[in-house]
Amino acid sequence: MIDVRTVFEKKGRAKYISHLDLNRFMMRVFRRSGLPIWYTEGYNPHPYLNFALALSLGFESEYEIMDFSLTEGVSFGKIKKSLNDILPEGIKILYVMTPQHNIKDIAKSEYSVEYITDFPSELCGEIQKFLGSSEITVEKKTKKGVKSIDIKPDTEITDIQTSDGKLFFNIKLPAGTQTNLNPMLFTDAFWEFSEIKFEKGKICRKKILCADGELFR
Amino acid sequence: MLREKIEKYLLDVQKPSRYIGGEMGSIVKNPEDTDVSFAFCFPDTYDIGMSHLGMKILYSLTNSRENYRCERVFAPLEDFEKIMRENDIPLYTLENLEPVKNFDFIGFTLQYELSYTNVLNMLDLAGVPIWQKDRGETLSPIVVAGGCCVCNGEPLADFFDIMILGEGEEVNLELMDLYLEHKKKGSSRQEFLRDASKIEGIYVPSLYTVNYNPDGTVNSISAEEGVPSVVRKRIISDMNNIYYPDNFVVPFSEIVHDRAVTEVLRGCIRGCRFCQAGFLYRPFREKSAESICRQSEALCENTGYDELSLASLSTSDHSDISEILSKLIDYTEKNKINLSLPSLRIDNFSEELLEKIKKVRKSGLTFAPEAGTQRLRDVINKNVTEEEIMNTCRISFEGGYTMVKLYFMMGLPTETDEDIIGIAELAGRIIDLFYSLPDRPKGKGVQVSISTATFVPKPFTPFEFEPQDTREMIEHKQKLLVDSIKTKKIKVSWHDPSVSLIEAVLARGDRRLSDVIYTAWKNGCKFDSWGEHFKFDVWIDSFKQCGLDPEFYACRKREYDEIMPWEHMDYYVSKEFLIRENKRAREFKTTPNCCEKCSACGVSKAVGGACFD
Repeated sequence: MIDVRTVFEKKGRAKYISHLDLNRFMMRVFRRSGLPIWYTEGYNPHPYLNFALALSLGFESEYEIMDFSLTEGVSFGKIKKSLNDILPEGIKILYVMTPQHNIKDIAKSEYSVEYITDFPSELCGEIQKFLGSSEITVEKKTKKGVKSIDIKPDTEITDIQTSDGKLFFNIKLPAGTQTNLNPMLFTDAFWEFSEIKFEKGKICRKKILCADGELFR
Repeated sequence: MLREKIEKYLLDVQKPSRYIGGEMGSIVKNPEDTDVSFAFCFPDTYDIGMSHLGMKILYSLTNSRENYRCERVFAPLEDFEKIMRENDIPLYTLENLEPVKNFDFIGFTLQYELSYTNVLNMLDLAGVPIWQKDRGETLSPIVVAGGCCVCNGEPLADFFDIMILGEGEEVNLELMDLYLEHKKKGSSRQEFLRDASKIEGIYVPSLYTVNYNPDGTVNSISAEEGVPSVVRKRIISDMNNIYYPDNFVVPFSEIVHDRAVTEVLRGCIRGCRFCQAGFLYRPFREKSAESICRQSEALCENTGYDELSLASLSTSDHSDISEILSKLIDYTEKNKINLSLPSLRIDNFSEELLEKIKKVRKSGLTFAPEAGTQRLRDVINKNVTEEEIMNTCRISFEGGYTMVKLYFMMGLPTETDEDIIGIAELAGRIIDLFYSLPDRPKGKGVQVSISTATFVPKPFTPFEFEPQDTREMIEHKQKLLVDSIKTKKIKVSWHDPSVSLIEAVLARGDRRLSDVIYTAWKNGCKFDSWGEHFKFDVWIDSFKQCGLDPEFYACRKREYDEIMPWEHMDYYVSKEFLIRENKRAREFKTTPNCCEKCSACGVSKAVGGACFD
């Protein structure tokens, strides 16, 4: 059995596909691809797929991880082509590789946030002010109920930029099997804080990282 | 751009992927490269409409013509409709996200009467005049309807330009071909409609005038000069050489029937007297085992579905069913595909067949005895005996099944309290049977679920003359049934009889109901088939406002010589035959199925000889 890791992008219309739907959809893609994927051996055998990190509905991504196993060897180039020939607008396999890291190694996820605004520099000022606060307290829903947490120590904002009618920044947050922080916690809190109102931003996952900052592969 | 506007709000609605298209298998053509466009609308939500086989067939068929374009449209749910109305987002198609009103044809499939208000709502969302008379001289958009309900489309006559009777594979393209000629010529809507009315299967309601008697019944129906006085439905003669899609649009979100489906036959040999489909879809025509298997494999391979189902009114009536099942089971087992088989009749459910089916699934079994006593089953010509029901249950229990679901109707012609108590007694005897079997599944209890629907008399059935039971009568029978059940091993569920009343009115209604439907919709009725949306009081008020009585349509017995509102529709099944069958029902006499003996229903005219050798 050969373990395979793929990195794919999920953009455009595909961002409206929920995580659960994506899983079922990908199983159908594999059935069509003719690739010798390993099936689970239960009462209801199905292609075994593992998505390292769920993506919120409505986010785009340039770095989604999907793992599976093959029962016989197929070149990475052929795997990529077989899948991309079938995949619809918005979903594309970018890389195929042998897994180097373990899913447990995932520590952070990096996103880009883009706002469309008539006042980019003013909004930029607001975000600087917001980042200057001593803490950023948000309500996080957990299995045990809602709890208040300060996400400031875990939030890394970089590359704040403005251009005609837009404000961009990158945000790095804890992710993985232990802690997960959704960038919406930050953007919602910022919306509450900001004196200048703006429309919901576009969020796109850029990278998945290990604890030492290395790209998860 | 419309797409940006849609996307701006899409994350605020439930299951957004159903409003944006882009699914695998969807066919997106450049509007500039095509000559005629058809917006295929299903007047219910995506989840329901995407499960409909007819739409899949006609969608792929139309798109198989290079210069024609067919795109899909569904009714938005409340949350998205509100956003659409507040932000001027018109009803749009899922392929090009293009406003529906730009299309040459706007076609609705009418599968059930309770979707009629959704048709009006969708036309309104599209920004298309709801009344046909308000659409003026311009050729497009032509608003058309097809599906089983157009056998009596009269209640919607004032909203549609065209209704298409019977099977659409040939006539839809003929209609589009004719339209293209007129488009090139620069014809007006009226010129095109007049010409279209000459195509067999095409009904143009605005070219017919209906006169009424003082008592509200129809006096006469007359066609304009040069327009056929009777419109005859279309039939596909050869099931093996007719187009069948080798791919489906595969949705991202889960829908009601999310699987590959192969049609195995059309029509039905049975002649159950309550069943409209059994008469509308005659004659009986089979697809060959070879075609069925080939089409099934192509669909599974192209869609990636891991579930396959066979569609028909009665799959086990296929003369080659054993061959089909054994071949398909070989294929599905090898490819890890689940095969599901609805519509299996219980009277020819052999042990051999069950043995094969047992290999593929182990959920509950569903049977439809329809009536609780043999007398009443004879009245409705459901030629199933209690012995056969018991025999099938025995085979199923011995095969490991412990759940049986039974479907019944209430309010059937000649029904008495005895027949209702008979339902409970039949369920009781099935439970006794289970415990009498030495080979029953060990350590498990048995569960019998009884589901009852209120009988709705439909056009083109021998019961089209019959009154529907009033709500009071149905409520009495429901109570009687519940009181007759003494064990928790039997569960009962039923439909709301007030929904069935509206369904009965619309099923046999005339043109005057267009006003009622319009008023009901204006006052907030839509998604009437959904319990939580159904507004009975609004419907009743709408009848009052329009000066019409729902019981006149639903609960009135028609004489054999009454002119029906659908008298000018010809589905080959003759009125003489329906009267003969109605009389036999009153005498508790059954009629043999078409294979055993021809009952001269009239459909052999379409076949050009006997239906069976």
